[in-house]
Amino acid sequence: MLIRKGWNLVLHLLTLPGLGRFWQVSFYLFVGIAAGLALWIIRISNMPSYLSDSSETCMNCHVMTDAYASWQRGSHGHVTTCNDCHVPHHSALAKYAFKAMDGTRHSAVFTLRREPQVLHLSHKAIPVIQQNCLRCHQGQFEMIRLSDSTQQTCWSCHTNIHGSVQSLSASPTVLRPKLPKAGLEFKSKGDTDHER
Amino acid sequence: MNAKNTDNTKDLSTLRLPLWAGFLLVAMACAVVVLLGLLATTIMERRWEAQRPSMVLKPLDAWETDNAKWGENYPREYETYLKSQDDTTRTLFGGADPRDYLDDDPYQVILFAGYGFSKEYLQARGHFYAVEDVNHTARIKKPYNAATCYTCKSPDVPRMMNKMGVAEFYAANFHDLTGEMNNPIGCLDCHDPQTTALRVSRPALREGFAAMGKDIETAGLQDMRSLACAQCHVEYYFSPNPKNYLTFPWKHGTTAEAMIEYYDEINFHDYMHPISKTPIIKAQHPDYELYLTGVHAYRNVACADCHMPYRSEGGVKFSDHHVQSPLLNIANSCAVCHRWSEEDIKSRVESIQTKVADAMLLSEESLVKAHFDIAAAMQAGISEEKLAPIRKLLRHAQFNWDYISASNGMGFHAPQESMRLIGLADRQAQEVRLQTARLLAGKGISRPPQYPDVSTREKAFHVVTSFIEGSEPKLLAE
Repeated sequence: MLIRKGWNLVLHLLTLPGLGRFWQVSFYLFVGIAAGLALWIIRISNMPSYLSDSSETCMNCHVMTDAYASWQRGSHGHVTTCNDCHVPHHSALAKYAFKAMDGTRHSAVFTLRREPQVLHLSHKAIPVIQQNCLRCHQGQFEMIRLSDSTQQTCWSCHTNIHGSVQSLSASPTVLRPKLPKAGLEFKSKGDTDHER
Repeated sequence: MNAKNTDNTKDLSTLRLPLWAGFLLVAMACAVVVLLGLLATTIMERRWEAQRPSMVLKPLDAWETDNAKWGENYPREYETYLKSQDDTTRTLFGGADPRDYLDDDPYQVILFAGYGFSKEYLQARGHFYAVEDVNHTARIKKPYNAATCYTCKSPDVPRMMNKMGVAEFYAANFHDLTGEMNNPIGCLDCHDPQTTALRVSRPALREGFAAMGKDIETAGLQDMRSLACAQCHVEYYFSPNPKNYLTFPWKHGTTAEAMIEYYDEINFHDYMHPISKTPIIKAQHPDYELYLTGVHAYRNVACADCHMPYRSEGGVKFSDHHVQSPLLNIANSCAVCHRWSEEDIKSRVESIQTKVADAMLLSEESLVKAHFDIAAAMQAGISEEKLAPIRKLLRHAQFNWDYISASNGMGFHAPQESMRLIGLADRQAQEVRLQTARLLAGKGISRPPQYPDVSTREKAFHVVTSFIEGSEPKLLAE
């Protein structure tokens, strides 16, 4: 009963009672445009891909292009995805929560153009990655006393997982991979060299 | 209860929104549209620029020397290039601030006695000021000075060399070309205007490679990212034949020893030292040669990797054209490979440089005393014949010291080689002092010479002037 009443109230308010036709039309015109834009952004930002484990997803944001290029050509390129190392795997909830937090922060920083030129792991990321190293390499570490260490990380010594150069612009332009498609192909029609 | 609820709903269902609410709702919806539109635009722009890093809107003339015209096509590079207008940057030993080396270190007034560098020796400002500063330095003589001094100052140089001929350019009077030198070091000095590929625009580098039996045309891109700089940041001299011909002394190689061998072979000197009458070779700035002996060159890191590091802006990667000390941009230069904090990197570099600076100052003291020791030996009447080999040793010592002193970076381009050469310079200077002491002892003089006070720039300059004018102090007076 109560819900029904509440629903009726919402429906009533949606008609913008008491306002003139001009305000009603203007408001819904803008709401319509906003909805269209939102759909467009979902498409061009490849939003559904963020639910996947594909490494290409990370490259949607250009900051990660060089990390992608060095991963792809590095020792781990054949066996892991970005997520295998960079998000927790002990539960699905932890995984998606971590992804959402990281992704939101990354996209906010990049949209506001506040990205540093050299990326460093955040404090939250370090234990996650260390755990993920152990997840696969456990057997190899059983004999090594450092495997329980919290002072050292695997990559304190193995610095070359992503190659030796770590700047946002480490890879030569020619080695930069093609961006994943994002429904913008019509813009480069007939432009075969740069077709995406 | 029920009745009350119904009453409430009744009240609400007759609710009428006021006009301001309509205004507010439309404004908010409009703001959402604007923000979403901006977001969509930035996503599309980032994608677009990642796919199309550069577009030439206005093709450039083959001899386009105006950097601003290039800037219309390459705005990011030009914008960063313009930052070299900042002449206030300062690092522990470098930066673009025109610090006065002679005020900081009066020994150099003695070491460069009789040469322009004893009158004015300032830290060079950025590329942007190249033409302005060369036109104003006290080291350019009037009314005649070799036009060769313009060679590294302006993209108008390759244009004029093409027009006049290379040898004719060098042979001209500096002051006759002033009207043509309108643009400071810039785009055309390193880039092909059609393709923007790096290229060698100055013949001296090509000829220097040829003298070593190497072909510079076979250099790859990573080599070119150093060789573009090596067109100017090298040791050179003006060969008298053809007149004032800019030449790199690389026939026997690019080490200090190889250059000394070459200079001795052709019997070249820049100036005759008025205190010791030693024919001195003034080292220019053998930055490239020194860098070749260091660990960064060994690891194939180019000049541009540290001095013009890549940076990413949005989807675009480009080279920062604000050429400067990497210590002023540690994140983009050092930290790309060295994963420590910027503070750690800075203190590490400065500790290396401080060691070089300390050793250099010690060797300067030996060199200054060596000049006075030879002057004392002359005053004691020791023959020119006996002094000739000692002077040759001092000539070598001073070049070895200057090879590091004149280089930018306070030895950081190759710390071990820098310390080796400073050590060598100091040993050779002390050898000069030992041998003159022996010659003086042969004359029955065992007391040390009385060294004039050179503790300030003015005092040092006064001492130099007294030697030039023949009113020098008696160094062996009782």
